[in-house]
Amino acid sequence: MAYKPSARQNSDELNMELDIRPVMNLMVVLIPLLLQGAEWVKLGAIEINAPPTKSVGNNPAEQQDKKEEEMKIGLKLAITSAGITIANAQALLPSDSGEGPTVPVLDDGTYDYALLKTKLIEVKKLIAGKGYKDENRAVITAGNKVEYQDLVSVIDNIQTYEEDGTEKVLFPEINFGSVIQ
Amino acid sequence: MNSMMDMMTIILLFLLKSFSTEGALITASEELRLPESVMGEKPKKELQVSITKEAILINNNQLMSVSDVDPESVLIQPLYKALANVAKEQSKLEVDVGTEFTHTVIIQGDQTIPFEMLYKIMFTCSKSQFYKMRLLTVKKG
Repeated sequence: MAYKPSARQNSDELNMELDIRPVMNLMVVLIPLLLQGAEWVKLGAIEINAPPTKSVGNNPAEQQDKKEEEMKIGLKLAITSAGITIANAQALLPSDSGEGPTVPVLDDGTYDYALLKTKLIEVKKLIAGKGYKDENRAVITAGNKVEYQDLVSVIDNIQTYEEDGTEKVLFPEINFGSVIQ
Repeated sequence: MNSMMDMMTIILLFLLKSFSTEGALITASEELRLPESVMGEKPKKELQVSITKEAILINNNQLMSVSDVDPESVLIQPLYKALANVAKEQSKLEVDVGTEFTHTVIIQGDQTIPFEMLYKIMFTCSKSQFYKMRLLTVKKG
């Protein structure tokens, strides 16, 4: 049986620094690898589900469409260079000054998204819970010169709103209407 | 040595957080600057239609130039033909090997393209069986 090594003589070895060189080597390899696979620009996709193109002359389907239409609100947002108009098939929401688009552009030519949101929240509160089938849907139309970025910003701003600390849906389902001439 | 180790660990953690296995979906360029948005879910790899300032591309292959788009008709004929071919191929694949035809198309548009152009593209896509559209955006912040 061997003697137990003397604790007194070897005690200084316990203070030896940890050998981290192998770990360092690993890091040096891992960092370029992860750098290469890193995602610098985060992408998002906005979902738009257009209905498949309808076949013409299908009578039963058309009748069904008419029945559904009875409980539809059909909210429309029309974006032009003068501003954004909120409307549906029956009514048009007037602006605070009584004329022009519902949400006129700001003095520097940008759209007033904050006002658009407050107006839409009012609309949402009016129609919520009344059984409209498309209460989450908004149809966006625009003038032919409206830029893509403005369109996306509008979509961005009509998704959700916050009330009493909870997030509620505004109009997250987006459809596109035809170009305003 | 120890401080270096700390630094490396932090870098490593940061990189791990931003690690993506999907690979690059787009190649950004001066001609194609995606609009910024705060919302949207993670895009999957699907058929891509890109509209830059000058050209229309399908899956990064140039198809036609924007100036060739007929201003009178809403349907963009060359794009419609190309997409119809892709749709035919994909539905054939669905029958033959069972890869699902998702009817999904990712639209990458430059920030500055007018709505009229976007509308034509979307109309053409839905005409050629790609009616589930995704607008690709860059996430803000």
